[in-house]
Amino acid sequence: MVRLAESITPTVPGSDGTGWEPRIAAMVCNWCTYAGADMAGTARMTYPPNIRTVRFLCTGRIDPMFIVKAFEQGADGVLISGCHPGDCHYVQGNMLTRRRHTIHAALMDFLGLDRRRLHYAWVSASEGVKWAKVVGEVTESVREAGPLLNWGKPGASDSLRLPDPGEAPRIAPPPEVYERISVNLRQTAADLLTEEEGGVSMVIGYTPGTLPGQMVPAFVTSPDEAPTLAWSDGCGNNLSMYIPEVVKKQTDGKVGLVVKKCDAKALIGLMRENQLNREQVSVLGIPCAGLWQDGKLASKCYGCDGEATDLSDWTITAEGAQEGAATTEEQQATAPDPRDIQIAALEAVTPETRWAYWQNQFARCIRCYACRAVCPLCYCETCIADKHRPQWIPKSFDGPGNTSWNIARAMHLAGRCTGCDECTRVCPADIRLDLLNRHLSQEIETQFDYRADDSADIPPPLTTFRPDDPDEFM
Amino acid sequence: MARLGVFVCHCGANIRRTVDVERVKEFANDLPGVVLSEDYPYLCSAPGQRMVEEAIKEKGLTGVVVAACSPHLHEPTFRGASAEAGLNPYLCEMANIREQCSWVHSNGVLATDKACDIVATMVEKVKRNQPLEPIEVPVQRGALVVGAGVAGIRAALDIANAGYPVTLVEKQSSIGGNMARLSETFPTLDCSQCILTPLMVQVSRHPNIELLTYSEVEEVSGYVGNFKIRIKKKPRYIIEDLCTGCDDCVPVCPVTLPNEFDMNLAWRKAIHIPFAQAVPAIYTLDAENCINSNLESESGDYRVLACEACALACGPDAIDFDQRPEIIERDVGVVVVASGFELVGSDATKQYGYGTYPDVLNGLEFERLLSASGPTLGEIRRPSDGKEPKSVVFIQCVGSRDPEHGLPYCSRICCMYTAKHALLYKHKVPDGSASVFYMDIRAAGKGYEEFVNRVMEEEQVPYVRGRVSRVVQEDGQLRVYGVDTLSGQPVQVMADLVVLATAVVPPSGSDLARQLRVPTDAYGFLQEAHPKLRPAETLTAGVFLAGSAQAPKDIPDSVSQASAAASKALEMLSKPVLDREPTVAQVNEATCIGCFDCEQVCPYLAIERKEIRDRQGALVRMVAQVNEAMCEGCGLCTSACRVRSVDVFGFNDEQVFAQLSALAPAPGGVGAEVHVPIAVG
Repeated sequence: MVRLAESITPTVPGSDGTGWEPRIAAMVCNWCTYAGADMAGTARMTYPPNIRTVRFLCTGRIDPMFIVKAFEQGADGVLISGCHPGDCHYVQGNMLTRRRHTIHAALMDFLGLDRRRLHYAWVSASEGVKWAKVVGEVTESVREAGPLLNWGKPGASDSLRLPDPGEAPRIAPPPEVYERISVNLRQTAADLLTEEEGGVSMVIGYTPGTLPGQMVPAFVTSPDEAPTLAWSDGCGNNLSMYIPEVVKKQTDGKVGLVVKKCDAKALIGLMRENQLNREQVSVLGIPCAGLWQDGKLASKCYGCDGEATDLSDWTITAEGAQEGAATTEEQQATAPDPRDIQIAALEAVTPETRWAYWQNQFARCIRCYACRAVCPLCYCETCIADKHRPQWIPKSFDGPGNTSWNIARAMHLAGRCTGCDECTRVCPADIRLDLLNRHLSQEIETQFDYRADDSADIPPPLTTFRPDDPDEFM
Repeated sequence: MARLGVFVCHCGANIRRTVDVERVKEFANDLPGVVLSEDYPYLCSAPGQRMVEEAIKEKGLTGVVVAACSPHLHEPTFRGASAEAGLNPYLCEMANIREQCSWVHSNGVLATDKACDIVATMVEKVKRNQPLEPIEVPVQRGALVVGAGVAGIRAALDIANAGYPVTLVEKQSSIGGNMARLSETFPTLDCSQCILTPLMVQVSRHPNIELLTYSEVEEVSGYVGNFKIRIKKKPRYIIEDLCTGCDDCVPVCPVTLPNEFDMNLAWRKAIHIPFAQAVPAIYTLDAENCINSNLESESGDYRVLACEACALACGPDAIDFDQRPEIIERDVGVVVVASGFELVGSDATKQYGYGTYPDVLNGLEFERLLSASGPTLGEIRRPSDGKEPKSVVFIQCVGSRDPEHGLPYCSRICCMYTAKHALLYKHKVPDGSASVFYMDIRAAGKGYEEFVNRVMEEEQVPYVRGRVSRVVQEDGQLRVYGVDTLSGQPVQVMADLVVLATAVVPPSGSDLARQLRVPTDAYGFLQEAHPKLRPAETLTAGVFLAGSAQAPKDIPDSVSQASAAASKALEMLSKPVLDREPTVAQVNEATCIGCFDCEQVCPYLAIERKEIRDRQGALVRMVAQVNEAMCEGCGLCTSACRVRSVDVFGFNDEQVFAQLSALAPAPGGVGAEVHVPIAVG
């Protein structure tokens, strides 16, 4: 596996670069487009010779990361083509492809890739004429876009400044409130751990860390340890990330889990993906006034009403603890989500500016994988980033490697991320992963009418399709 | 270390004319891992193949790249040659430098550059190919045939005659399908029942055929060679072995209903037999209409027996109100689908007063009027007043070839049966007048054109080329408004009876296609594997098509396809094991996280859940597992897998990445040193 490092060598380099010819990777299905391309040959049609074809049995086999790999390897453009919807040799492969690539194309748009480089088409086995036409158009389009020189290259200047989150819609509650909640939480945890019938053998909550105001995860297995639990405005970690690992090892008894509303949504994803049975967890929901860091309210909290999650088996408030989900009397004041304003600001600028913005963001990545470590839905035991055969993502923390990693991460969470923003909180390089995740969630919601925190019974959005799914991205 | 051979074909001048074959050969020779690079004028010729075979043996090649035409053309040829020489055929790949290179590009330099790249990508792929062996699947001896119209009957008889057991399932209480309803058949005017009933009797007596009428396929699981079928046999409330078909129960039954077999033009009782020649000749008590309520109640507790007239009249005591639906399970190796057709009741038929005016009939209804066993015993009587119609207008293409009001396709049988109808009408009512509105006459079968000409010329039936806009009832007659497009004149015809050639559509409410995982076309007809070359097969291995289930067809075509489907089915049944393509998916259980997204996307239900247990037998986790017999190798599971625990043989991630990397040779990379200087030219 060799990556094109510093310079893209043109196929036909003239001394002044005028001899540059676009290099286009085409990924096509065996049954429709490959046969259609053969037909173009049989009929002796002509089209530009810039295309290099890789044959798959079905477009459903084409992982968006193959596109990323092609660009990373120096392709100036990519074309994906398969059977028309409804004609798939494998019944539904192209329908699933359409969904997956709708979202990948949305991501590439959001990253600011010049869309003249990325093309999709439906070409059937009988459409030799169409294939010749498509290749002609794609080649022309890529030629207009010119050589791809900025893949994995930070922009010269990072001129784009995103709008400030603005004033928080509320102020942090006084410390007494947190202390009262902490007392009630300790009591509930102690009761659950004592009760023979409660059947809880571990409570996962928070305890003060070594730094002032810092809260760290605590794993409490006996009533004696319950007093170490605490609740404050700095409880950041999404504790549901420990669930897949803990329930696997937990042979008897439930796991009590302290969660904020934003954290609990991940439990639905874990149930949907067969990582968790609802009976294995006892959810200790706490109404939350928001996560405050350095006196600032976290972006995700602006639009949150602070209610305890509907999933709560116990709701713990300043007043006491009650069984089941309960609504609080006064809801938190909300304001428009600053992330949405920032996404809109990014969408408003030119693709070139966006590309420079994101490449500068990615350039800071040190590949510590903290984002992966805190994400409740990154539960794979072997991440593809750690695979060597093949090597999905270049190991070194340079532009191309970082770009591939961040695209892979965003794609793997598309339709699954529930917006707890932990990845962004822990990122030492302050990369705005929250904006990538949220943008893709919104795309999936508008295109497919799907929210990751809906019900655990509906399948993940990229594993299903509707025959009339939109294909405006094509 | 790979020892690869690259063979570059000139294809006469087809490749050589544009691509510098010599340069491609030299280029390939310098690729890492290539130990031999040759060219030849026609590699697919016998000496060409021999050259490949000898090179494999002499040089001990571990992989072969044939740079020639499309893999769709000669991949089997060269894989066969490789196998002959002792190299696993899956270690041979084609580099398509003809269809997708020399034939479509005119600039020789750029085309040669491209050919070099294509060879480089395939060399990189072959280095990572694995030897694969065909997957052997045992075959259950036996076939399921769904639908017992003429196509299903023919297929069942063919398979049974070859000595294999057949389970023939029919939804209705008798076999025979739509053909049993027909009066006479075009173009020979054979009596339909006279030619069909002997086949029906053969089916009922055949030792290899198990006939399940009044039954429906509920569930199909399994895969080619090993289908498991659940069949629901509905209760007839008659003990089949005791019923003698004496008809004593019928006169005493108090419930009278339209007879569906007679297209509701005659009456039947709640206990009935659809027609005299029905097979099996066993009566059926229609539970929905019998005045005894809740016959189908599970427990029988709430059953109210208001009437026992049939039971009292039945000499052999064959009536059994306690019968329950029965689930029958069968294991078969192959399935033939012959689920037939219906006539559509679309907007177009409403426009012509169908369903509003009693004297507007569809083709099958008119067949029953013509039939000697029909409600009028073959006399033409119009439904409204029972009088003999003196003028009949036939309208073709009602709903067919009409995207605005119905369906864009041609229903194929209407031109012929309308001509037959007109002829039979003229024979039965010599003083009557018949006229036909048509769009085009499609009479492409043997003797068909002659038959239509005979109707036009000998029977003097006027054919008006044009469309009918509407039909209106006036003074007990029907006024047909149309236009003669040849003369451009509007036409009005008064008729006693109007017969519509309505569109042929797939049977409604059928779940069969989904159960069998066979794709359907836009109209619901089952999709054949290839429209030209595999018309009786489907893309689901082991499932075959016969008759109108695939597309509208007349009797000879249905029967031909049925025999074709049977012979395809027999091809599979005749072997104890089937060989399947080994390019299937495989799960790495060590890394599988058990999210089962793969199960969700698999169109073939080939992903199963496997329990991983520890030594004490406690469940550790669940992982995915591929049933190789069901997997088609599409790779949908692979791209759905985030952790990449599932990969496809023959098109695996490593091969793909190698190909993509070879596309853009970087300085110092694969093929770069040789590639860049060449490209300067």
